[in-house]
Amino acid sequence: MFKQAAWDVRDTTRVAAFAALIAVLGLPGAVPVFGGAVPITLQTLGVMLAGTILGPWRGAAAILTFEALVLFGLPIVSGGRGGAGMFVGPSAGYLLGWIFGVVVIGAIASVGSERPRWWRTAVACVTGGILVVYAFGIPIQALVTRLPLVETALTSTVFLPGDLVKAVLATVITLTLWRAYPRAFSRGTNPKHPVDTDVTA
Amino acid sequence: MIGLYRPGTSVLHRMPTGLKLVCFIGASLAIATTTTSLWQVISALTFVMTGYACAGLSARVLASQVVAARWIILFMLAPQLLFLPAIDAVTNTARVALIVILAALFTLTTRIPDLLDATERACAPFRRFGIRPEAVALVLALTITSIPVIAGFAATIRDAQRARGIPPHRLSFAVPLLIMSLKHADDLADAVSARGIEP
Repeated sequence: MFKQAAWDVRDTTRVAAFAALIAVLGLPGAVPVFGGAVPITLQTLGVMLAGTILGPWRGAAAILTFEALVLFGLPIVSGGRGGAGMFVGPSAGYLLGWIFGVVVIGAIASVGSERPRWWRTAVACVTGGILVVYAFGIPIQALVTRLPLVETALTSTVFLPGDLVKAVLATVITLTLWRAYPRAFSRGTNPKHPVDTDVTA
Repeated sequence: MIGLYRPGTSVLHRMPTGLKLVCFIGASLAIATTTTSLWQVISALTFVMTGYACAGLSARVLASQVVAARWIILFMLAPQLLFLPAIDAVTNTARVALIVILAALFTLTTRIPDLLDATERACAPFRRFGIRPEAVALVLALTITSIPVIAGFAATIRDAQRARGIPPHRLSFAVPLLIMSLKHADDLADAVSARGIEP
């Protein structure tokens, strides 16, 4: 399931573009969410889409690239945050979880065929984008804040409804993108999915 | 795109990036593991303030980092006060806030080009696993230049939809943004290939 074509230039630039896209999703006012009234982050949506569109390894490369730039001090985490502080605060585990989560999302979403199916994409987003991310995020948050695990898990449930909505959105967007622009899902120079296919024909 | 870097000539600014990162990880771990009582919080606070003073940064810069950490402080303090004794809640919150503010000092005193170079050097041992440091540096540089481009796409789509009277909707916004971003990636790939760069 992890077998993919060799890495080529197009993959390198897609990883860069996706990392930049996740950064833009964190810029204040760049993307309208409920009219900008609710400080909800769309970046976890970007993480889910990186997995479903780029696949496990290119997706993970995009997340690593994004997080390297956060460490470098670009204010690209939602709310204009950034810098090394992100990796020592309570949210550190969630950032770590994104890396493993996107591998799980990509692996589940691309199992069988590369054509996304709605149920497989939804399972991938919930498992990788929520379960795996929380599995890293909550224990590390408990360790950092020294609040017991159960209480930390309880306080984290406030993010669960939003994350479930994002999993639904990621599924709908992935399937819409497949219909609108199937080239998005082509991996490297894999002859089964020639990148030069004219999808508008 | 403006980073958090504040120019200066202090010891911290001149320290090699890799060594500085190791020092900051050490200091963060020391604060994380030893700070349990109120006087330890005060000594950690003194340490962090000394660090900012050593870097030649003004009290205003330190204050702006405290403001930047306000959500961490707020989101940590509320559940802690609910579940733990008040003194523990305050100590825990202060400890985490201090570590975050100390870590910010690393970012404040390190230029992005230095960090890119350091990353390229740090990736060298991974060459045997098929990770090429030049490719890593290229991806990071391409991402930095793509952020304003993709932010521009977002603005274009928003304006186009507003002009047509379409209320901003997440789905009608996300799909064109994804397509434009991926097409931008393909344009970049053509530009990189045309210049004979082998990533």
